[in-house]
Amino acid sequence: MAGFIAHLDADAFYVSAERVRHADLANKPVGVLGNNGACVIAKSYEMKAKGVKTGTPIWDAAKMCPEGVYVKRDFYWYEVLSRKMLGIVGTFSPKLEYYSIDEFFFHAEPLRHGQQLATTATTIRDHILEATGLPVTIGIARTRTLAKLFSDTGKPFGAVAVLTRDHERELLAKMPVTEISGIGGKRADRLAPYGIRTCLDLADADGRLVKRLLTKTGHEIWMELNGEPVMPIRPERPPHQVLGRGGSLMGNVEDPKVLWAWCVRHVERLIEELRYHNVRTTTLAVEVGWKDQGWTGGTSNSPTPTDRIDELLDLARASLRRAYVTGRTATHMQVKATELRRGKGFQLSLFDKPDPKKDKLATVKAAINEKYGRFKVRTATTLYLPAVYRDPANEYDICDVRGKVCF
Amino acid sequence: MRAIALPTSELPDEVVKELHARVYTRGDQKEVRFDWRAVPALLPVWWNGRLQIVRWGNRDRAERKLPPTGWTWKATVEKGRWVGIEPEPVEIPANYVLANGVWFRVREGLRGLMVRTPSGVPAVFVVCEPATRYYRVMTRAEWMPVLIKEII
Ligand SMILES: [Mg+2]
Repeated sequence: MAGFIAHLDADAFYVSAERVRHADLANKPVGVLGNNGACVIAKSYEMKAKGVKTGTPIWDAAKMCPEGVYVKRDFYWYEVLSRKMLGIVGTFSPKLEYYSIDEFFFHAEPLRHGQQLATTATTIRDHILEATGLPVTIGIARTRTLAKLFSDTGKPFGAVAVLTRDHERELLAKMPVTEISGIGGKRADRLAPYGIRTCLDLADADGRLVKRLLTKTGHEIWMELNGEPVMPIRPERPPHQVLGRGGSLMGNVEDPKVLWAWCVRHVERLIEELRYHNVRTTTLAVEVGWKDQGWTGGTSNSPTPTDRIDELLDLARASLRRAYVTGRTATHMQVKATELRRGKGFQLSLFDKPDPKKDKLATVKAAINEKYGRFKVRTATTLYLPAVYRDPANEYDICDVRGKVCF
Repeated sequence: MRAIALPTSELPDEVVKELHARVYTRGDQKEVRFDWRAVPALLPVWWNGRLQIVRWGNRDRAERKLPPTGWTWKATVEKGRWVGIEPEPVEIPANYVLANGVWFRVREGLRGLMVRTPSGVPAVFVVCEPATRYYRVMTRAEWMPVLIKEII
């Protein structure tokens, strides 16, 4: 029989990380705010119970939960704890995939001969709590999809091992199909006319129908729901093929200096995204949307994967030059890392990078940005963006909620 | 900012007993809230090596020589405007600070300026500075207290 897969997911990770260093926040409604202070990007279960959601503006949250305590996001601290957690899980399982800052997949093996996997899950969970102070939930099942489903629904502080088809079916019958990540509103709407409402309905549906309704990816999910692993754990594989940042330029931009300033800004935000996923890139693409004239793009390559601001700005400059068309008016821009690498033996520690001197500067800069607001330390270039950075009347900075843009 | 909170566990028992009307529960922990609107307005300060509870500012205008507020600008302090009454910089310990309805966590507390009124009563003013961008967005306030060893 094939091995089992474990999915580990920290419970309310940013809030838990704050509680690790501020014990008084335990059992209180806590909200973590993005760097702008505008939106709740993570909330404790106590705050969630009051109706506060990820993305709720601080002002609404304060009304829903007047006793709530807010803290500013400290990404570097969360990274430190994430790496610590990763190191610990690595001691339990050599085959480990870093999925995101607080989610890992790994091969589940009994820690001692004859140990039940449910006990293994509990042991690892309890050890992580003891060693890092972080509560996590672990789901063990025959496939990635099942493991993630069972840990998602086993929160908080769960440890579940679902090893038999009967047990799987019993749990899948109780879960709406939207519990599966990637099957949201539209896809669920496509399934509803066929009576597919629960995860079990989907598992029991005809494979060809699923393929027709949800394409190849949906079919893979269907196979995994039925206990056939098609998405193996790959320690070196980045969780995404492309990461990007960008959007509207908030109006018409003709001045190439302003265009470059926007580019720098998007590169900075892209770096945060790269770090969140612990990946580096060898290519950087810049795409510019022109008023009534479509898009143009340029791509540049780096000999080694990087997540450093200086190197990525060099790539961005070359890419933007390729994308730029003289005399046109730009309205949108995207900056994309298109070749993501985890790198050989990717680091468990934050600071052991190959070029200590340059990296030190980047680290210091990152730390200062964290401390004084993300955009305080920067190249002189972005001074061409006064409307974005300095004019208090134009507070349309983009919020840090993952996958969302709010102003 | 309009109030601060400190867990009762960080205050001497006698103080908690004396201020029992200002004790609140948040989550599963009791805390004393020091509110500008409370009568009298009080704040905890580290002064002469121990934690003491003193008057917050001069809201009731009991002292005509002092401004009728509870705050002062850092710039005003630096310009020496308070020198005549021998002010002392003090630390105001706090876990949470309330501003415009938003409680936020601070690491150690706030900077304060301690003065003795002509009649000899100690009073503390919270030292303020223009708000950072983050603070302004979070609280919609244009000014913020000077925090001890942190910038948000
Ligand atoms: Mg999580």
